[in-house]
Amino acid sequence: MSAEKTLPGPASAPDPAEVRGAVAGYLGGIRDVVVLEMKQRLRSRGWYIMLGIWFVVIALVTALTWAGWNASMEVRYSTPVPDGMPQPDGPGSAIFEVVLAFVLLFALLVAPALSANAVNGDRAGGTLAILQVTLLTPGQILWGKFCAAWLAAIAFLAASAPFLIFAVLLGGLTPGHVLVSLVMLAVEVAVICGIGVGISALAGRPLFSIVVTYLTVAALVVGSLIAFGLGVQLTQGTIKANQAQYNSAEFGPGAYPGSPEYTCSGPLVEQDALRTERVAWLLALNPYVVVADAIPYPERKTPSYYYSGGMIENISQGARAALAGPEGTYACANGKVQPQYLQQTTPLWPLGLALQLGLAGLLLWLGWRALHTPARRLAAGTRIA
Amino acid sequence: MSVSEIPETTRAPLASGVSAVGVSRRFGSVHAVEQMDFEAPAGRVTALIGPNGAGKTTLLLMLASLLQPDSGTITVDGLDPAKDSAAVRRRLGWMPDTLGVWESLTAREILVQMARFYRLPKAGIDARVAELLALVRLEELADQPARVLSKGQQQRLSLARALVHDPSVLLLDEPAAGLDPGSRVELRTLLRNLAAAGKSIVVSSHVLSELDEIADGAVFVNQGRTVKQQTIEEAAQQGRRYAITALDPAALAAKLTELGLEFKAGSGRRPSVSLLLSHDDGAAALLRDLVTAGIAVVSFGPASGALEETYMSLETERK
Repeated sequence: MSAEKTLPGPASAPDPAEVRGAVAGYLGGIRDVVVLEMKQRLRSRGWYIMLGIWFVVIALVTALTWAGWNASMEVRYSTPVPDGMPQPDGPGSAIFEVVLAFVLLFALLVAPALSANAVNGDRAGGTLAILQVTLLTPGQILWGKFCAAWLAAIAFLAASAPFLIFAVLLGGLTPGHVLVSLVMLAVEVAVICGIGVGISALAGRPLFSIVVTYLTVAALVVGSLIAFGLGVQLTQGTIKANQAQYNSAEFGPGAYPGSPEYTCSGPLVEQDALRTERVAWLLALNPYVVVADAIPYPERKTPSYYYSGGMIENISQGARAALAGPEGTYACANGKVQPQYLQQTTPLWPLGLALQLGLAGLLLWLGWRALHTPARRLAAGTRIA
Repeated sequence: MSVSEIPETTRAPLASGVSAVGVSRRFGSVHAVEQMDFEAPAGRVTALIGPNGAGKTTLLLMLASLLQPDSGTITVDGLDPAKDSAAVRRRLGWMPDTLGVWESLTAREILVQMARFYRLPKAGIDARVAELLALVRLEELADQPARVLSKGQQQRLSLARALVHDPSVLLLDEPAAGLDPGSRVELRTLLRNLAAAGKSIVVSSHVLSELDEIADGAVFVNQGRTVKQQTIEEAAQQGRRYAITALDPAALAAKLTELGLEFKAGSGRRPSVSLLLSHDDGAAALLRDLVTAGIAVVSFGPASGALEETYMSLETERK
């Protein structure tokens, strides 16, 4: 009837000003939801207490790491490092890595708490339907909730930034490290917030969605490692390789190939190998792998059997070795000498981030569908208001 | 009986106001609303009456564009909520039965936020919010967090929230619950004024005597179906139960028997009798007869409201 006629017909050429206005209106709605959410959160005292505890705990971790590093250096380097060997990095690198790992751990623990009851908590409190009857669209509500949760989580990262900067000041690192790691932490937290908000829009009860979000985080952090470990067993394959001849008698076969030069000779023979590249994507789901792999570290020109790289570097190298598979790591695979040290040309983190963003995006999309009104289907046991 | 009793003329969708025709909605295997018809014309207060679980809230949620009916059509000012939800929501004010407030925000902030969500022009928001706060008498508490408000105050805030964008259709689910008598009178006045301004107002409530004063018409629902639609005048004409007390109950009973009237002993604290009288003239005549017969009548008045009478008669019909 008349409702159809009053609707504006499909415009043949959309007016750019009109489009801009629509975009501004959409973003304005998101901002209004964020303002509402932030006013709600920022006024609870518990939030500030949590932030204070967070700050103190990270300060403690930093101080203990520094003290521990100093103590171990005194023991290890009571004699000077021989010339030609890499000098140890300053304490900055060690503190940075420990603080980074710790901040990521806590961020992964805090983000679900900030996000996983965003929607169904409101539904339980009877305020979600109030938003739904206004001119806000489901997308605006969901993005607003997501942004608010993310901003709150970013506040925790901001509280830990001084310690990462402190690590840089102690030497051995560039400001780029801090920048990249903070950006990656923020992105990881965004992924978790997206998962949390999406699940909270889907699940009926806040407790359930919080538990599910924590389990999802656990699956990403621990489950990805377990799945990779188990998955590797199923990737038994073969690779054509020939015999490696080691130049130095010091390092027999079975020892680290690569650092002392070796040559490949003889016919290519099929050899058993684990095709880890098939399950490397499981490893990529791990937030630690994504963050560690994204942070640049200096390329090692010198052999590293003496030097033990930092934790970040080791995680990154391990992940890239898994991604490269036997083709890139097995000694004399296809008759080629393999570099022992994987160059930073085949990073794993874009794949991992894409998978994580895909998961978060899928959950947000499902949550967005669940927020549509007039609602056709409701989750069992829930009321719309 | 539900559909057949409604005159055909009122079933056509009106240009303004809110209407539902043959609306059904089920949740799983529960048929919350089945083939319900509802009409709330503009400029009138329509009461939605029914026992608990009759489908009142489900119907209101569908009218409020939150739930999609499985079948049937809903129009709000002639618009379909499913197709044109933004236009419908601009016209629609909804006050839910659950008290949901953002507890950390002040009453003023809540109303400002709501005004923003309805995209009201920014310049007018502060004035509009102040006006609403005055309307529901929350000026003094305007800058207190909403959690310190009492239930009745939150209820009034909830009403102001539904009014923020000056909707032409107002859906109120149990608006009088938790209000003190003074606030109830104010609510009554407010709703009458809004109806006089041409708005369509739907009120669901259990307090039937309250609705007698507010409503122009009523829709009775039970077990998900529309049982009866009537105006308050129709309700008044169908006969009403009167309660009479006298100093000498025995003499009163004897006189009523002599007049050939059927009556029953009242259930109240004081010894009284009640009887059904078809219209107000009959009541006046009976009172005159009793007084001239020398019965010392202490009280003589309607035992129930007009809507309550309908409600109770429907209840007994069902049994």
